[in-house]
Amino acid sequence: MRTLRRIGLYTGLAIAALTFIYPFLWMASATFKPLSEVGTLALFPTHATLDNYKTMWARAPFGRALINSLLVATTITIAVLVFGSITAYAMARLRFKGRPALNAATMGVLLVPGQLTLIPLYTLIVQLGWIDTYAALIIPYLFNATAILMMRQFFLQIPQSLIDSARMDGMGELRILFTIFWPLSKPVLSIVAIFTFMGSWNEVLWPLLVVREQHLMTLPQLLTVFSLGGGAGSIGVSLASAMVLVVPVVIAYAFLQRNFIESMAGSGVKG
Amino acid sequence: MPSVHFEHVSKRFGATTVVEDFNLDVAEGELLVLVGGSGSGKTTILRMLAGLEEVTEGRIRIDDRDVTALAPRDRDVAMVFQDYGLYPHMTVRENLSLGLRLRKVARTEIERRVTWAADMLQLEPLLDRKPKQLSGGQQQRVAMGRAMVREPLVFLFDEPLSNLDAGLRAQMRIEIGGLQRRLKTTTVYVTHDQVEAMTLGDRIVVLADGRIQQVGRPIDLYRAPVNRFVAGFVGTPPMNFVEGRITGENGGAQFNADGMRFDMLPGRMPTTMPSGPVTLGIRPEDMEVDPQSDGPRNGSVAGRVVLVERLGGTSHVHFDAGPNRMLASVTNERLPAVGDAIDVRINGERAHLFVDDQRVSSAS
Repeated sequence: MRTLRRIGLYTGLAIAALTFIYPFLWMASATFKPLSEVGTLALFPTHATLDNYKTMWARAPFGRALINSLLVATTITIAVLVFGSITAYAMARLRFKGRPALNAATMGVLLVPGQLTLIPLYTLIVQLGWIDTYAALIIPYLFNATAILMMRQFFLQIPQSLIDSARMDGMGELRILFTIFWPLSKPVLSIVAIFTFMGSWNEVLWPLLVVREQHLMTLPQLLTVFSLGGGAGSIGVSLASAMVLVVPVVIAYAFLQRNFIESMAGSGVKG
Repeated sequence: MPSVHFEHVSKRFGATTVVEDFNLDVAEGELLVLVGGSGSGKTTILRMLAGLEEVTEGRIRIDDRDVTALAPRDRDVAMVFQDYGLYPHMTVRENLSLGLRLRKVARTEIERRVTWAADMLQLEPLLDRKPKQLSGGQQQRVAMGRAMVREPLVFLFDEPLSNLDAGLRAQMRIEIGGLQRRLKTTTVYVTHDQVEAMTLGDRIVVLADGRIQQVGRPIDLYRAPVNRFVAGFVGTPPMNFVEGRITGENGGAQFNADGMRFDMLPGRMPTTMPSGPVTLGIRPEDMEVDPQSDGPRNGSVAGRVVLVERLGGTSHVHFDAGPNRMLASVTNERLPAVGDAIDVRINGERAHLFVDDQRVSSAS
């Protein structure tokens, strides 16, 4: 009876897993299919080909866009981790005038939808003359309230005696943050890193607004322009360019997966 | 080894005063214990000495050096924390040596000191483990080792034993005491456990509500507590207190309470006879229980047993004398049973008299 129930359970889970993974696998395989096969639901191409990728690469500067995207997403991720953790540390563990106000302000930022700030931010970027620069893509994202609050929440759980010990050992606050808090906060740092990286990587709207030069375009932006503008010509080529967009995120996730799941499971600092 | 001086030190958090006009001199090489209940300000005083808490008013000196405004790292003091404060992601060796590395001590010297401390605390086999892989007692030793390798001017201990079980606590208490006598480092030790204070301290400071109640050798605090708080705090089980009045009869002074009359010895009386309400204090070990009551006699009270706790060597007899619940600590083989009428003889030489919670007995 128990075995039977277990078999039922795993069958159910397998079907659920399949419904998630099938579209992705289909997309991956479709990129290797010639035009005549793309319409089928089969997972394996009968005549595998790299033509879709070759066409895509030839028609638009995807290599350059990949580098742009990597540059923008990496810079933003590092900045969010470094600046965010510094802010979070101060908010969680230092006593200073205006701390409650800073907490409230950070929380307040969360309540304002991004769409609302889009136009003022755009105007600001125009005024600063940053249109068609990396600065426009990167600088508005250097700080992230969600990330700060997530890190702050985690930092609050780290025992005070560790900070005290470190101060007695002769560390300054920045050194405490980076040599004591960072190693103990891997779960939250990974989750912030993944979310920030993915968020920046997948961002289309903002780059569309502030970048018009093709050589500065990020990957999803170029992809959008390319596909919507009819540059792709076929669904296979469109899917191939989407693949280029997805693969780096999958790789990043694979690397940080262990910490990511740990963090989702809500682990804290032990010992 | 240096001495430590607190001069009119106060600490306020907003409108709350945690420590009020604290004055204290810790002698060179002394082990001084700060003891008090929670909220007494003992840990705050220690943290101010460590530099982890700012001083609102007053001055702290280590020898002649004013350290009041110095950062923790510039004070040359080392501290052992209640939950040890070991870095979980570093090995024992790294935990021990980090403070020295940050101070740019030469590598050979770090190696020498780590080996010395590890040897003294039996930590050699554990040097490459992480704190999580150690038992509570071992973590405690690492925390002590980390303080030792710094070779600081002053050791600070903040309730270092309260996370250990009873057996280990007694063992570590002996180790800490032995270590301090060997190293002769000036030490300030904070605890809420008066047994720890009595057994470890060269001198004890009893604190309540951020104020010093009494400073003295453990035996002095036990024999001559200045007030009711200290009398009740020092000694286990705690002192019995009976509210009553003093009357003069038959040429002597007599303590009278509901269900209790007791002739005060002249040596235990103040020079002026107190006229208002007084409190008589008697330690449980200063009473003798006679399991058979033959009516009240001089210097004894009649009681009825409500509970007998047999601890092996000694036993605690809880009894009611009038409306007062009292406790006598006895070593007799013959113990009364619950409900028995007993006769309890009080050692008049050891009775304490309190007026307005201040001790007025003249002799100790």
